[in-house]
Amino acid sequence: MARMLTFNIFRYNPQDSASFPHMQEFRLEETESMTLFIALNRLREEQDHSLQFDFCCRAAICGACAMVVNGRPGLACHTKTKDFPDKITLMPLPVFKLVGDLSVDTGTWFRGMAKKIESWCHTKKVFDPNAQEERMDNALAERIYELDRCVECGCCVAACGTALMRDDFLGATALNRIARFILDPRDERTEKDYFDIIGTDEGVFGCMGLFGCQDVCPKRLPLQEVLGKLRLKMAFAAANNLLPKFLRREVRL
Amino acid sequence: MSSIPSYATHKPETSCRCSAYLDWLQMLTGACLILFMLMHLLFVGSAIISPSLMNGLSKVFEWTGMAQIGGPVIFFLLLLHFVLAARKIPFASKQQGIMIANARRMHHLDTWLWVIQAVSGMVILVMGSIHLWTVLTNLPITAQKNAMRLQDSRAWIGFYIVFIPMVWLHTGIGFYRIMVKWGIVGIDGRPGLRKKDALIAATAMVIGFMTLWRFVFLSIN
Ligand code: SF4
Ligand code: SF4
Ligand code: FES
Repeated sequence: MARMLTFNIFRYNPQDSASFPHMQEFRLEETESMTLFIALNRLREEQDHSLQFDFCCRAAICGACAMVVNGRPGLACHTKTKDFPDKITLMPLPVFKLVGDLSVDTGTWFRGMAKKIESWCHTKKVFDPNAQEERMDNALAERIYELDRCVECGCCVAACGTALMRDDFLGATALNRIARFILDPRDERTEKDYFDIIGTDEGVFGCMGLFGCQDVCPKRLPLQEVLGKLRLKMAFAAANNLLPKFLRREVRL
Repeated sequence: MSSIPSYATHKPETSCRCSAYLDWLQMLTGACLILFMLMHLLFVGSAIISPSLMNGLSKVFEWTGMAQIGGPVIFFLLLLHFVLAARKIPFASKQQGIMIANARRMHHLDTWLWVIQAVSGMVILVMGSIHLWTVLTNLPITAQKNAMRLQDSRAWIGFYIVFIPMVWLHTGIGFYRIMVKWGIVGIDGRPGLRKKDALIAATAMVIGFMTLWRFVFLSIN
């Protein structure tokens, strides 16, 4: 027997002056291997054409479909209804600007973040289109790739108590991005350059270690480890000039 | 949103290391207080075995000046640790509400632990000050004096029934937080650490209560 699912969905269209934030109930019969992607599309097709939500890849690659499912941020296309009770509450991600209903604008936030942490390889080398690409050790390339898997869905930010309280907090995804550039030998930024970006209470020292980020990241990025090592690295970067030689440490990520 | 100001701050563009130093201090004062609490547990816990053992230890602390100097140092550490940690605790009730709402919405244990940490921290500041003041203004510490204080007034018993769990909740969670925040324990180690840590804190709490029990029923003569 297929279950009858009850969806409680946040509705609000900021473009429409008659609209006000409220929850709307929908009912839908569960089908095999149903994801929230399938459920939401059917609701829009069969029950309410005005329902707004974002999807693109439907394979956990683009990061567009993040929303709060029964209290926890996650990717809707990656979430099976069978893992949930028959009552499912869907809310838009907090922190980000609401476009309407379940759709939020993560793009502006991530673009701002990328600009602030200067999310690109800083190098003085002049690019030579004829030269062969420089080789990188495979193990290192894989470690960089591991952190590069972030799909910018925003779940880690939406789950972070610190980010919710303080909009100047960089968030796990930004710190993870910096870690990725620290690992990358092509980026010529020094430890001090990195410290200037994240060695503050808005950066790694603002993180209170609640690991909401780690527990919700749909790509299972090792955020907890990255944040821990970054904290240690930045803490020693600041303390090394005060410490006697034998206590100094250069922390490697 | 970032450390790079988007407005004129009238400050030269040099990096300030203060956040890093303050974070170090917060962690180190916390770690010192954890160590102190464990030693304190052994000290008062010795009364369970024998009150005269505790009195003997107490004499050593007195002779070596550890009680007279160490006591106020711990008091200072407690205050310092509170001020440092309080920087992270939102003062505005709106933000406090956000934290609790987030913990509740997400059913997220670690966020709840943070809430407990913030609340117990404030309780400890007040109760710890009272406890330290009472004990340190009446040196040397003896099992009989403790027993007398507890047997004279039920209020003191109530005081410790609240104080002991607060201390060990805070100490236990604090230890866990240091281990994960500073990257000492990895992702897979977190649930295991949580369990072991809870076990240690619970044991400490039990020993604490056994000591309390011992004092309440200790014959004073
Ligand atoms: S560990 Fe840090 S970044 Fe991650 S949720 Fe907690 S406070 Fe936010
Ligand atoms: S780190 Fe994980 S949760 Fe955060 S934006 Fe990237 S993929 Fe999403
Ligand atoms: S639709 Fe692309 S991640 Fe869900």
